[in-house]
Amino acid sequence: MLFLQSLQLVQFKNYSHQTFRFEGPVTAITGANGIGKTNVLDAIHYLCFTKSYFQSGDGMNVQHGMQGFRIEGQFTLAGEALPVSIVLRETGKKEVSCNGSLYEKFSHHIGRFPCVMIAPDDVELIIGGSEMRRSFLDTVLSQMDAVYLQQLISYNKILQQRNSFLKSCAQTQTRNNALLDVLDEQLIAAGTYIFTKRNDFLPGFNEQVLQFYSSIAGKAEPVAVTYESKLRETSLENLLQQCREKDYQLQRSTTGVHRDDLYFSMNDEPFKQTASQGQRKSLLFSLKLAEAEVLKQQKGFAPLLLLDDVFEKLDQERMHNLLNYVCSQFGGQVFLTDTHPERMKNAFADMQIPLQLIELG
Amino acid sequence: MQLHLLLQQRSNSAAVILILHPSYFRSMSFSSTLLEQAVNEFAKLPGIGKKTALRLVLHLIKQPAEETQFFADTLARMRKEIKFCTKCCNVSDTEVCNICSNIARKKQIVCVVENIRDVIAIESTQQFNGLYHVLGGVISPLDGIGPDQLTIEALLHRIKEDEVEELIFALNPNIQGDTTLFYISKKLKDQPIKITTIARGIAFGGELEYADELTLARSLQNRQPVASYVSMK
Repeated sequence: MLFLQSLQLVQFKNYSHQTFRFEGPVTAITGANGIGKTNVLDAIHYLCFTKSYFQSGDGMNVQHGMQGFRIEGQFTLAGEALPVSIVLRETGKKEVSCNGSLYEKFSHHIGRFPCVMIAPDDVELIIGGSEMRRSFLDTVLSQMDAVYLQQLISYNKILQQRNSFLKSCAQTQTRNNALLDVLDEQLIAAGTYIFTKRNDFLPGFNEQVLQFYSSIAGKAEPVAVTYESKLRETSLENLLQQCREKDYQLQRSTTGVHRDDLYFSMNDEPFKQTASQGQRKSLLFSLKLAEAEVLKQQKGFAPLLLLDDVFEKLDQERMHNLLNYVCSQFGGQVFLTDTHPERMKNAFADMQIPLQLIELG
Repeated sequence: MQLHLLLQQRSNSAAVILILHPSYFRSMSFSSTLLEQAVNEFAKLPGIGKKTALRLVLHLIKQPAEETQFFADTLARMRKEIKFCTKCCNVSDTEVCNICSNIARKKQIVCVVENIRDVIAIESTQQFNGLYHVLGGVISPLDGIGPDQLTIEALLHRIKEDEVEELIFALNPNIQGDTTLFYISKKLKDQPIKITTIARGIAFGGELEYADELTLARSLQNRQPVASYVSMK
Protein backbone atom coordinates (compact mmCIF):
# COMPACT_ATOMS: atom_id res chain seq x y z
CA MET A 1 0.00 0.00 0.00
CA LEU A 2 0.91 3.66 -0.34
CA PHE A 3 2.29 4.94 2.95
CA LEU A 4 3.75 8.25 4.01
CA GLN A 5 6.35 7.55 6.68
CA SER A 6 7.48 11.05 7.48
CA LEU A 7 7.10 14.66 6.52
CA GLN A 8 9.56 17.53 6.87
CA LEU A 9 8.46 21.13 6.56
CA VAL A 10 10.79 24.09 6.21
CA GLN A 11 9.34 27.63 6.16
CA PHE A 12 5.98 26.24 5.13
CA LYS A 13 3.02 28.28 6.40
CA ASN A 14 3.45 28.51 10.19
CA TYR A 15 6.22 25.89 10.38
CA SER A 16 9.80 27.12 10.34
CA HIS A 17 11.30 23.68 10.78
CA GLN A 18 9.32 20.60 11.73
CA THR A 19 9.43 16.84 11.23
CA PHE A 20 6.48 14.50 11.58
CA ARG A 21 6.73 10.71 11.70
CA PHE A 22 3.70 8.62 10.91
CA GLU A 23 3.54 5.21 12.49
CA GLY A 24 0.22 3.57 11.73
CA PRO A 25 -2.39 3.74 9.02
CA VAL A 26 -4.45 6.27 11.01
CA THR A 27 -2.98 9.56 12.23
CA ALA A 28 -4.99 12.20 14.04
CA ILE A 29 -3.58 15.70 14.37
CA THR A 30 -5.16 17.74 17.12
CA GLY A 31 -4.70 21.20 18.57
CA ALA A 32 -6.39 24.56 19.02
CA ASN A 33 -7.66 26.61 16.09
CA GLY A 34 -4.90 28.30 14.14
CA ILE A 35 -2.17 25.97 15.38
CA GLY A 36 -1.52 24.58 11.89
CA LYS A 37 -3.39 21.26 11.65
CA THR A 38 -4.73 21.92 8.20
CA ASN A 39 -1.29 23.08 7.07
CA VAL A 40 0.07 19.57 7.68
CA LEU A 41 -2.67 18.10 5.48
CA ASP A 42 -2.02 20.74 2.84
CA ALA A 43 1.69 19.88 2.84
CA ILE A 44 0.76 16.26 2.13
CA HIS A 45 -1.54 17.48 -0.63
CA TYR A 46 1.42 19.42 -2.03
CA LEU A 47 3.48 16.23 -2.16
CA CYS A 48 0.76 14.50 -4.19
CA PHE A 49 -0.40 17.33 -6.48
CA THR A 50 2.59 19.74 -6.45
CA LYS A 51 0.21 22.46 -5.28
CA SER A 52 -1.91 23.59 -2.38
CA TYR A 53 -5.49 22.43 -1.97
CA PHE A 54 -6.51 25.84 -0.70
CA GLN A 55 -4.32 28.53 -2.23
CA SER A 56 -3.51 28.92 -5.88
CA GLY A 57 -0.27 30.88 -5.47
CA ASP A 58 2.79 29.09 -4.10
CA GLY A 59 3.99 32.31 -2.51
CA MET A 60 0.97 32.33 -0.19
CA ASN A 61 2.28 29.21 1.52
CA VAL A 62 5.66 30.58 2.55
CA GLN A 63 6.18 31.32 6.22
CA HIS A 64 5.52 34.97 6.95
CA GLY A 65 8.57 37.16 6.34
CA MET A 66 10.55 34.34 4.69
CA GLN A 67 11.35 33.43 1.12
CA GLY A 68 10.91 29.97 -0.29
CA PHE A 69 9.85 26.73 1.38
CA ARG A 70 10.65 23.07 1.32
CA ILE A 71 8.41 20.03 1.82
CA GLU A 72 9.84 16.56 1.93
CA GLY A 73 7.95 13.32 2.29
CA GLN A 74 9.17 9.73 2.55
CA PHE A 75 6.66 7.52 0.81
CA THR A 76 6.76 3.77 0.51
CA LEU A 77 4.85 1.96 -2.20
CA ALA A 78 4.88 -1.83 -2.47
CA GLY A 79 8.06 -1.98 -0.39
CA GLU A 80 9.90 0.61 -2.46
CA ALA A 81 11.05 3.81 -0.77
CA LEU A 82 10.09 6.91 -2.75
CA PRO A 83 11.15 10.26 -1.33
CA VAL A 84 9.30 13.24 -2.81
CA SER A 85 10.36 16.83 -2.34
CA ILE A 86 8.81 20.14 -3.31
CA VAL A 87 11.04 23.19 -3.12
CA LEU A 88 10.01 26.76 -3.72
CA ARG A 89 13.19 28.74 -4.37
CA GLU A 90 13.69 32.32 -3.24
CA THR A 91 13.24 33.33 -6.86
CA GLY A 92 9.73 31.85 -6.91
CA LYS A 93 10.80 28.86 -8.99
CA LYS A 94 9.26 25.57 -7.89
CA GLU A 95 11.08 22.28 -8.14
CA VAL A 96 9.50 18.88 -7.70
CA SER A 97 11.53 15.73 -7.45
CA CYS A 98 10.82 12.09 -6.80
CA ASN A 99 13.49 9.64 -5.81
CA GLY A 100 16.18 12.23 -6.42
CA SER A 101 15.28 13.14 -9.99
CA LEU A 102 13.69 16.46 -10.89
CA TYR A 103 10.53 16.51 -12.96
CA GLU A 104 10.63 18.46 -16.18
CA LYS A 105 6.87 18.76 -16.10
CA PHE A 106 4.88 18.69 -12.87
CA SER A 107 2.04 16.97 -14.71
CA HIS A 108 4.17 13.81 -14.81
CA HIS A 109 3.94 13.61 -11.04
CA ILE A 110 0.14 13.75 -10.86
CA GLY A 111 -1.42 10.38 -10.22
CA ARG A 112 1.71 8.65 -8.92
CA PHE A 113 0.71 9.40 -5.33
CA PRO A 114 -3.08 9.58 -5.42
CA CYS A 115 -4.77 11.45 -2.61
CA VAL A 116 -8.25 12.65 -1.67
CA MET A 117 -8.86 15.62 0.60
CA ILE A 118 -12.11 16.47 2.36
CA ALA A 119 -12.20 19.96 3.86
CA PRO A 120 -14.97 22.04 5.49
CA ASP A 121 -15.44 24.41 2.56
CA ASP A 122 -15.88 21.57 0.10
CA VAL A 123 -19.64 21.79 0.41
CA GLU A 124 -19.20 24.53 -2.21
CA LEU A 125 -18.77 21.63 -4.57
CA ILE A 126 -22.48 20.99 -4.24
CA ILE A 127 -23.92 24.47 -3.89
CA GLY A 128 -21.25 26.59 -5.61
CA GLY A 129 -20.44 27.32 -9.24
CA SER A 130 -19.81 24.77 -11.96
CA GLU A 131 -16.08 25.48 -12.01
CA MET A 132 -15.61 23.58 -8.75
CA ARG A 133 -17.41 20.52 -10.06
CA ARG A 134 -15.38 20.47 -13.26
CA SER A 135 -12.24 20.80 -11.23
CA PHE A 136 -13.37 17.89 -9.02
CA LEU A 137 -14.00 15.74 -12.08
CA ASP A 138 -10.67 16.75 -13.61
CA THR A 139 -8.83 15.94 -10.39
CA VAL A 140 -10.19 12.40 -10.38
CA LEU A 141 -9.65 11.73 -14.06
CA SER A 142 -6.19 13.32 -14.17
CA GLN A 143 -5.00 11.01 -11.42
CA MET A 144 -6.32 8.01 -13.32
CA ASP A 145 -5.25 8.94 -16.84
CA ALA A 146 -2.10 10.94 -17.61
CA VAL A 147 -3.23 11.50 -21.19
CA TYR A 148 -6.40 13.11 -19.87
CA LEU A 149 -4.31 15.63 -17.94
CA GLN A 150 -2.19 16.41 -20.98
CA GLN A 151 -5.25 16.87 -23.16
CA LEU A 152 -6.79 19.10 -20.52
CA ILE A 153 -3.68 21.28 -20.39
CA SER A 154 -3.67 21.50 -24.19
CA TYR A 155 -7.38 22.29 -24.27
CA ASN A 156 -6.95 25.17 -21.85
CA LYS A 157 -4.01 26.57 -23.78
CA ILE A 158 -5.88 26.43 -27.09
CA LEU A 159 -8.94 27.96 -25.44
CA GLN A 160 -6.82 30.88 -24.21
CA GLN A 161 -5.43 31.37 -27.72
CA ARG A 162 -8.91 31.21 -29.21
CA ASN A 163 -10.32 33.75 -26.75
CA SER A 164 -7.38 36.07 -27.36
CA PHE A 165 -7.92 35.72 -31.07
CA LEU A 166 -11.63 36.56 -30.75
CA LYS A 167 -10.72 39.66 -28.72
CA SER A 168 -8.14 40.79 -31.25
CA CYS A 169 -10.71 40.33 -34.03
CA ALA A 170 -13.08 42.68 -32.25
CA GLN A 171 -10.33 45.22 -31.67
CA THR A 172 -9.17 45.29 -35.26
CA GLN A 173 -12.69 44.87 -36.70
CA THR A 174 -11.48 41.97 -38.84
CA ARG A 175 -12.30 38.30 -39.05
CA ASN A 176 -10.16 35.41 -40.08
CA ASN A 177 -12.26 32.28 -40.42
CA ALA A 178 -9.33 30.27 -41.74
CA LEU A 179 -7.41 30.75 -38.51
CA LEU A 180 -10.50 30.13 -36.38
CA ASP A 181 -11.02 26.87 -38.31
CA VAL A 182 -7.54 25.76 -37.30
CA LEU A 183 -7.99 26.73 -33.65
CA ASP A 184 -11.35 24.93 -33.65
CA GLU A 185 -9.79 21.79 -35.07
CA GLN A 186 -7.18 21.78 -32.32
CA LEU A 187 -9.85 22.43 -29.70
CA ILE A 188 -12.00 19.60 -31.08
CA ALA A 189 -9.16 17.07 -30.86
CA ALA A 190 -8.50 17.78 -27.17
CA GLY A 191 -12.13 18.52 -26.26
CA THR A 192 -13.51 15.32 -27.72
CA TYR A 193 -11.02 13.23 -25.77
CA ILE A 194 -11.96 15.02 -22.55
CA PHE A 195 -15.68 14.61 -23.24
CA THR A 196 -15.38 10.89 -24.01
CA LYS A 197 -13.44 10.22 -20.80
CA ARG A 198 -15.85 12.23 -18.65
CA ASN A 199 -18.86 10.63 -20.28
CA ASP A 200 -17.53 7.09 -19.87
CA PHE A 201 -16.57 7.74 -16.28
CA LEU A 202 -19.87 9.04 -14.95
CA PRO A 203 -22.20 6.00 -14.94
CA GLY A 204 -19.83 3.85 -12.86
CA PHE A 205 -18.98 6.75 -10.61
CA ASN A 206 -22.66 7.49 -10.05
CA GLU A 207 -23.20 3.95 -8.79
CA GLN A 208 -20.37 4.32 -6.30
CA VAL A 209 -21.79 7.61 -5.05
CA LEU A 210 -25.20 6.04 -4.60
CA GLN A 211 -23.77 3.19 -2.52
CA PHE A 212 -21.76 5.48 -0.26
CA TYR A 213 -24.68 7.83 0.15
CA SER A 214 -26.99 5.16 1.42
CA SER A 215 -24.40 3.79 3.84
CA ILE A 216 -23.54 7.25 5.22
CA ALA A 217 -27.12 8.48 5.40
CA GLY A 218 -28.24 5.12 6.80
CA LYS A 219 -31.06 4.89 4.28
CA ALA A 220 -31.39 4.63 0.55
CA GLU A 221 -32.29 7.96 -1.02
CA PRO A 222 -32.39 8.14 -4.79
CA VAL A 223 -29.50 10.54 -5.40
CA ALA A 224 -27.94 10.74 -8.81
CA VAL A 225 -24.94 12.40 -10.38
CA THR A 226 -25.25 13.08 -14.08
CA TYR A 227 -22.85 14.61 -16.55
CA GLU A 228 -24.15 17.71 -18.28
CA SER A 229 -22.49 18.58 -21.54
CA LYS A 230 -23.70 20.04 -24.81
CA LEU A 231 -21.48 17.44 -26.43
CA ARG A 232 -23.95 14.75 -25.46
CA GLU A 233 -26.33 16.11 -28.08
CA THR A 234 -24.00 16.91 -30.93
CA SER A 235 -20.32 16.99 -31.81
CA LEU A 236 -18.02 19.77 -30.68
CA GLU A 237 -17.47 20.58 -34.34
CA ASN A 238 -21.16 21.36 -34.82
CA LEU A 239 -21.34 23.29 -31.57
CA LEU A 240 -18.42 25.50 -32.50
CA GLN A 241 -19.95 26.14 -35.91
CA GLN A 242 -23.31 27.03 -34.37
CA CYS A 243 -21.74 29.39 -31.86
CA ARG A 244 -19.21 31.00 -34.17
CA GLU A 245 -21.19 34.20 -34.73
CA LYS A 246 -21.98 34.48 -31.03
CA ASP A 247 -18.32 33.87 -30.14
CA TYR A 248 -17.19 36.67 -32.45
CA GLN A 249 -19.75 38.98 -30.86
CA LEU A 250 -19.02 38.12 -27.24
CA GLN A 251 -15.24 37.81 -27.86
CA ARG A 252 -14.95 34.51 -26.03
CA SER A 253 -15.67 30.82 -26.55
CA THR A 254 -19.21 30.16 -25.44
CA THR A 255 -19.27 26.42 -25.98
CA GLY A 256 -17.03 23.47 -25.24
CA VAL A 257 -16.07 21.14 -22.42
CA HIS A 258 -15.09 24.14 -20.31
CA ARG A 259 -18.81 24.73 -19.88
CA ASP A 260 -19.63 21.19 -18.71
CA ASP A 261 -21.16 20.56 -15.31
CA LEU A 262 -22.16 17.82 -12.92
CA TYR A 263 -25.80 17.76 -11.98
CA PHE A 264 -26.87 16.36 -8.61
CA SER A 265 -30.44 15.27 -8.09
CA MET A 266 -32.56 13.55 -5.49
CA ASN A 267 -35.95 12.11 -6.39
CA ASP A 268 -35.38 13.74 -9.78
CA GLU A 269 -35.39 17.16 -8.12
CA PRO A 270 -32.33 19.42 -8.18
CA PHE A 271 -30.29 18.56 -5.11
CA LYS A 272 -28.98 22.11 -4.69
CA GLN A 273 -32.39 23.46 -3.83
CA THR A 274 -34.09 20.62 -1.99
CA ALA A 275 -31.39 19.01 0.13
CA SER A 276 -30.88 19.79 3.81
CA GLN A 277 -27.51 20.68 5.32
CA GLY A 278 -27.06 17.09 6.48
CA GLN A 279 -27.92 15.68 3.09
CA ARG A 280 -25.44 18.02 1.43
CA LYS A 281 -22.71 16.81 3.74
CA SER A 282 -23.65 13.20 3.10
CA LEU A 283 -23.44 13.79 -0.64
CA LEU A 284 -20.11 15.55 -0.30
CA PHE A 285 -18.63 12.62 1.61
CA SER A 286 -20.13 10.19 -0.89
CA LEU A 287 -18.53 12.02 -3.80
CA LYS A 288 -15.13 12.08 -2.14
CA LEU A 289 -15.24 8.48 -0.97
CA ALA A 290 -16.41 7.37 -4.41
CA GLU A 291 -13.38 9.25 -5.80
CA ALA A 292 -11.12 7.39 -3.38
CA GLU A 293 -12.75 4.09 -4.26
CA VAL A 294 -12.39 4.45 -8.04
CA LEU A 295 -8.77 5.51 -7.58
CA LYS A 296 -8.16 2.47 -5.42
CA GLN A 297 -9.70 0.16 -8.00
CA GLN A 298 -7.75 1.68 -10.85
CA LYS A 299 -4.37 1.95 -9.11
CA GLY A 300 -4.54 -1.32 -7.23
CA PHE A 301 -3.73 0.46 -3.96
CA ALA A 302 -5.62 2.91 -1.79
CA PRO A 303 -5.00 6.68 -2.10
CA LEU A 304 -4.14 8.76 0.95
CA LEU A 305 -7.21 10.21 2.64
CA LEU A 306 -6.94 13.66 4.20
CA LEU A 307 -9.95 14.53 6.36
CA ASP A 308 -9.89 18.07 7.66
CA ASP A 309 -12.14 18.89 10.63
CA VAL A 310 -14.51 16.04 9.87
CA PHE A 311 -16.00 15.80 13.36
CA GLU A 312 -17.66 19.16 12.85
CA LYS A 313 -19.55 17.82 9.91
CA LEU A 314 -21.80 14.93 10.79
CA ASP A 315 -23.79 13.62 13.73
CA GLN A 316 -22.35 10.96 16.03
CA GLU A 317 -23.81 7.98 14.24
CA ARG A 318 -22.95 9.01 10.71
CA MET A 319 -19.50 9.94 11.92
CA HIS A 320 -19.07 6.54 13.47
CA ASN A 321 -20.12 4.79 10.27
CA LEU A 322 -17.83 6.94 8.23
CA LEU A 323 -14.76 6.56 10.44
CA ASN A 324 -15.29 2.86 10.66
CA TYR A 325 -15.33 2.57 6.89
CA VAL A 326 -12.47 4.96 6.22
CA CYS A 327 -10.14 3.75 8.95
CA SER A 328 -10.67 0.01 8.85
CA GLN A 329 -12.35 -1.18 5.67
CA PHE A 330 -10.85 1.20 3.14
CA GLY A 331 -7.34 -0.07 3.69
CA GLY A 332 -5.38 3.11 3.04
CA GLN A 333 -3.47 5.63 5.11
CA VAL A 334 -5.72 8.24 6.70
CA PHE A 335 -4.95 11.64 8.23
CA LEU A 336 -7.54 13.43 10.36
CA THR A 337 -7.57 16.75 12.14
CA ASP A 338 -9.69 17.79 15.11
CA THR A 339 -9.67 20.41 17.84
CA HIS A 340 -10.41 17.91 20.64
CA PRO A 341 -7.88 15.12 21.31
CA GLU A 342 -10.27 13.46 23.79
CA ARG A 343 -13.05 13.16 21.23
CA MET A 344 -10.63 11.46 18.82
CA LYS A 345 -9.28 9.08 21.43
CA ASN A 346 -12.74 8.04 22.56
CA ALA A 347 -14.08 7.52 19.08
CA PHE A 348 -11.19 5.29 18.13
CA ALA A 349 -11.17 3.43 21.43
CA ASP A 350 -14.85 2.58 20.83
CA MET A 351 -14.05 1.24 17.40
CA GLN A 352 -10.90 -0.56 18.57
CA ILE A 353 -8.80 0.94 15.82
CA PRO A 354 -5.19 1.84 16.69
CA LEU A 355 -4.60 5.56 16.42
CA GLN A 356 -1.51 7.73 16.36
CA LEU A 357 -2.32 11.02 18.00
CA ILE A 358 -0.17 14.06 17.25
CA GLU A 359 -1.01 16.92 19.60
CA LEU A 360 0.19 20.28 18.33
CA GLY A 361 0.93 23.28 20.51
CA MET B 1 29.69 50.64 7.41
CA GLN B 2 26.24 50.43 5.87
CA LEU B 3 26.41 46.66 5.62
CA HIS B 4 27.60 46.45 9.19
CA LEU B 5 24.56 48.43 10.26
CA LEU B 6 22.26 46.11 8.34
CA LEU B 7 23.77 43.02 9.85
CA GLN B 8 23.29 44.47 13.28
CA GLN B 9 19.62 44.82 12.51
CA ARG B 10 19.36 41.23 11.39
CA SER B 11 16.52 40.52 13.76
CA ASN B 12 14.59 43.15 11.86
CA SER B 13 13.34 41.17 8.88
CA ALA B 14 12.78 44.27 6.74
CA ALA B 15 16.48 45.03 6.84
CA VAL B 16 17.40 41.51 5.75
CA ILE B 17 14.99 41.72 2.85
CA LEU B 18 16.69 44.94 1.79
CA ILE B 19 19.89 42.94 1.28
CA LEU B 20 18.29 40.06 -0.59
CA HIS B 21 15.49 41.60 -2.54
CA PRO B 22 16.11 42.41 -6.24
CA SER B 23 14.67 45.89 -5.71
CA TYR B 24 17.90 46.62 -3.86
CA PHE B 25 19.76 46.52 -7.14
CA ARG B 26 17.22 48.71 -8.83
CA SER B 27 18.32 51.46 -6.52
CA MET B 28 22.01 50.87 -7.36
CA SER B 29 23.77 54.18 -6.91
CA PHE B 30 26.36 55.26 -9.47
CA SER B 31 29.09 57.85 -9.21
CA SER B 32 28.73 58.61 -12.91
CA THR B 33 25.67 59.15 -15.09
CA LEU B 34 27.62 57.88 -18.11
CA LEU B 35 28.20 54.60 -16.33
CA GLU B 36 24.58 54.41 -15.23
CA GLN B 37 23.29 54.99 -18.76
CA ALA B 38 25.56 52.30 -20.18
CA VAL B 39 24.44 49.83 -17.49
CA ASN B 40 20.79 50.61 -18.19
CA GLU B 41 21.28 49.98 -21.91
CA PHE B 42 22.96 46.62 -21.33
CA ALA B 43 20.24 45.63 -18.87
CA LYS B 44 17.65 46.01 -21.64
CA LEU B 45 19.12 42.97 -23.41
CA PRO B 46 17.40 39.62 -22.90
CA GLY B 47 18.87 37.56 -20.08
CA ILE B 48 20.97 40.44 -18.74
CA GLY B 49 20.20 41.81 -15.30
CA LYS B 50 21.59 44.91 -13.65
CA LYS B 51 24.45 43.09 -12.00
CA THR B 52 25.62 41.41 -15.20
CA ALA B 53 25.22 44.69 -17.04
CA LEU B 54 27.49 46.39 -14.51
CA ARG B 55 30.09 43.66 -14.87
CA LEU B 56 30.09 44.02 -18.67
CA VAL B 57 30.38 47.79 -18.53
CA LEU B 58 33.22 47.66 -16.01
CA HIS B 59 34.97 45.21 -18.30
CA LEU B 60 34.65 47.62 -21.22
CA ILE B 61 36.13 50.42 -19.10
CA LYS B 62 39.19 48.28 -18.46
CA GLN B 63 39.66 47.63 -22.18
CA PRO B 64 41.65 50.00 -24.40
CA ALA B 65 39.33 52.70 -25.76
CA GLU B 66 39.79 51.63 -29.38
CA GLU B 67 38.54 48.13 -28.63
CA THR B 68 35.33 49.48 -27.20
CA GLN B 69 35.07 51.75 -30.23
CA PHE B 70 35.46 48.77 -32.53
CA PHE B 71 32.81 46.87 -30.54
CA ALA B 72 30.36 49.75 -30.81
CA ASP B 73 31.07 50.26 -34.51
CA THR B 74 30.55 46.59 -35.25
CA LEU B 75 27.17 46.65 -33.56
CA ALA B 76 26.10 49.86 -35.23
CA ARG B 77 27.18 48.64 -38.65
CA MET B 78 25.51 45.28 -38.16
CA ARG B 79 22.23 46.95 -37.25
CA LYS B 80 22.43 49.49 -40.06
CA GLU B 81 23.54 47.23 -42.87
CA ILE B 82 21.89 43.94 -42.03
CA LYS B 83 19.34 42.87 -44.60
CA PHE B 84 16.65 40.29 -44.66
CA CYS B 85 16.76 37.99 -47.65
CA THR B 86 13.92 38.90 -49.98
CA LYS B 87 13.24 35.22 -50.61
CA CYS B 88 13.51 33.39 -47.31
CA CYS B 89 13.50 36.31 -44.81
CA ASN B 90 16.71 35.03 -43.24
CA VAL B 91 19.35 37.58 -42.21
CA SER B 92 21.74 38.36 -44.99
CA ASP B 93 24.42 40.75 -46.19
CA THR B 94 22.89 40.85 -49.64
CA GLU B 95 19.45 41.14 -51.19
CA VAL B 96 19.26 37.38 -51.58
CA CYS B 97 21.05 35.38 -48.89
CA ASN B 98 23.89 32.98 -49.67
CA ILE B 99 21.70 29.95 -49.01
CA CYS B 100 19.01 31.06 -51.47
CA SER B 101 21.58 32.06 -54.09
CA ASN B 102 23.52 28.79 -53.87
CA ILE B 103 22.76 27.00 -57.14
CA ALA B 104 23.79 23.64 -55.69
CA ARG B 105 20.78 23.66 -53.38
CA LYS B 106 17.37 22.36 -54.43
CA LYS B 107 14.99 25.25 -54.48
CA GLN B 108 11.99 22.96 -54.92
CA ILE B 109 12.29 21.86 -51.28
CA VAL B 110 11.62 24.50 -48.65
CA CYS B 111 12.00 24.01 -44.93
CA VAL B 112 9.74 26.33 -42.91
CA VAL B 113 11.21 27.44 -39.58
CA GLU B 114 10.22 29.84 -36.84
CA ASN B 115 13.38 31.93 -36.59
CA ILE B 116 16.95 32.37 -37.69
CA ARG B 117 18.29 30.24 -34.86
CA ASP B 118 16.43 27.26 -36.31
CA VAL B 119 18.12 27.78 -39.67
CA ILE B 120 21.50 27.67 -37.93
CA ALA B 121 20.48 24.52 -36.04
CA ILE B 122 19.35 22.67 -39.15
CA GLU B 123 22.30 23.88 -41.23
CA SER B 124 24.70 22.46 -38.69
CA THR B 125 23.24 18.97 -39.20
CA GLN B 126 24.51 19.18 -42.84
CA GLN B 127 21.60 16.93 -43.78
CA PHE B 128 19.43 19.40 -45.62
CA ASN B 129 20.09 20.58 -49.14
CA GLY B 130 16.98 22.62 -49.83
CA LEU B 131 16.12 26.21 -49.02
CA TYR B 132 14.53 27.78 -45.94
CA HIS B 133 11.70 30.06 -45.12
CA VAL B 134 11.86 32.01 -41.87
CA LEU B 135 8.39 32.84 -40.53
CA GLY B 136 9.60 35.22 -37.85
CA GLY B 137 7.50 33.54 -35.16
CA VAL B 138 4.45 31.33 -34.80
CA ILE B 139 0.76 32.19 -34.62
CA SER B 140 -0.10 33.04 -31.02
CA PRO B 141 -2.98 35.48 -30.53
CA LEU B 142 -2.17 35.50 -26.82
CA ASP B 143 1.14 37.20 -27.65
CA GLY B 144 -0.47 39.41 -30.27
CA ILE B 145 0.93 37.43 -33.20
CA GLY B 146 -1.53 36.64 -35.96
CA PRO B 147 -0.86 35.36 -39.50
CA ASP B 148 -0.33 38.92 -40.73
CA GLN B 149 2.64 39.45 -38.43
CA LEU B 150 4.46 36.51 -40.01
CA THR B 151 5.94 36.05 -43.46
CA ILE B 152 3.19 33.68 -44.56
CA GLU B 153 2.12 35.74 -47.60
CA ALA B 154 5.72 35.84 -48.82
CA LEU B 155 5.88 32.06 -48.45
CA LEU B 156 2.70 31.50 -50.47
CA HIS B 157 3.95 33.82 -53.16
CA ARG B 158 7.28 32.07 -53.25
CA ILE B 159 5.72 28.62 -53.56
CA LYS B 160 3.97 29.69 -56.76
CA GLU B 161 6.89 31.55 -58.20
CA ASP B 162 9.59 28.96 -57.55
CA GLU B 163 7.34 25.94 -58.19
CA VAL B 164 8.12 24.48 -54.79
CA GLU B 165 7.39 20.75 -54.64
CA GLU B 166 7.81 20.00 -50.97
CA LEU B 167 7.34 22.03 -47.83
CA ILE B 168 8.97 20.64 -44.68
CA PHE B 169 7.71 22.15 -41.46
CA ALA B 170 10.37 22.25 -38.77
CA LEU B 171 8.43 24.09 -36.07
CA ASN B 172 8.55 23.50 -32.34
CA PRO B 173 6.19 20.66 -31.42
CA ASN B 174 3.73 22.66 -29.33
CA ILE B 175 0.23 24.09 -29.71
CA GLN B 176 1.27 27.33 -31.41
CA GLY B 177 3.56 25.41 -33.75
CA ASP B 178 0.66 23.16 -34.70
CA THR B 179 -1.69 26.11 -35.19
CA THR B 180 0.79 27.66 -37.61
CA LEU B 181 1.41 24.40 -39.44
CA PHE B 182 -2.32 23.65 -39.88
CA TYR B 183 -3.05 27.22 -40.92
CA ILE B 184 -0.46 27.26 -43.69
CA SER B 185 -1.36 23.74 -44.85
CA LYS B 186 -5.00 24.80 -45.18
CA LYS B 187 -3.99 27.75 -47.30
CA LEU B 188 -2.24 25.31 -49.62
CA LYS B 189 -4.83 22.59 -49.77
CA ASP B 190 -5.73 23.24 -53.42
CA GLN B 191 -2.14 23.22 -54.59
CA PRO B 192 -0.19 20.18 -55.74
CA ILE B 193 2.48 20.38 -53.09
CA LYS B 194 3.81 17.78 -50.69
CA ILE B 195 3.64 18.97 -47.09
CA THR B 196 5.60 17.17 -44.39
CA THR B 197 6.71 17.84 -40.86
CA ILE B 198 9.79 16.74 -38.97
CA ALA B 199 9.31 13.50 -37.01
CA ARG B 200 8.06 13.73 -33.45
CA GLY B 201 8.86 11.15 -30.87
CA ILE B 202 11.52 9.85 -28.59
CA ALA B 203 14.77 11.78 -28.70
CA PHE B 204 17.96 9.86 -29.41
CA GLY B 205 19.71 9.27 -26.10
CA GLY B 206 16.38 9.66 -24.29
CA GLU B 207 14.72 7.11 -22.07
CA LEU B 208 11.34 5.56 -22.76
CA GLU B 209 10.47 5.43 -19.09
CA TYR B 210 10.64 9.21 -18.80
CA ALA B 211 8.87 10.04 -22.05
CA ASP B 212 5.38 11.39 -21.57
CA GLU B 213 2.45 9.35 -22.83
CA LEU B 214 1.58 11.61 -25.76
CA THR B 215 5.11 11.50 -27.11
CA LEU B 216 5.35 7.76 -26.68
CA ALA B 217 1.93 7.21 -28.27
CA ARG B 218 2.93 9.41 -31.20
CA SER B 219 6.20 7.53 -31.63
CA LEU B 220 4.29 4.27 -31.83
CA GLN B 221 1.90 5.66 -34.42
CA ASN B 222 4.76 7.03 -36.52
CA ARG B 223 7.04 4.05 -36.06
CA GLN B 224 9.88 3.61 -38.52
CA PRO B 225 11.02 0.52 -40.41
CA VAL B 226 14.32 -0.57 -38.90
CA ALA B 227 15.83 -0.69 -42.38
CA SER B 228 15.50 3.08 -42.70
CA TYR B 229 17.70 3.52 -39.65
CA VAL B 230 20.26 0.98 -40.71
CA SER B 231 20.71 2.49 -44.16
CA MET B 232 21.42 5.89 -42.64
CA LYS B 233 24.53 4.67 -40.92
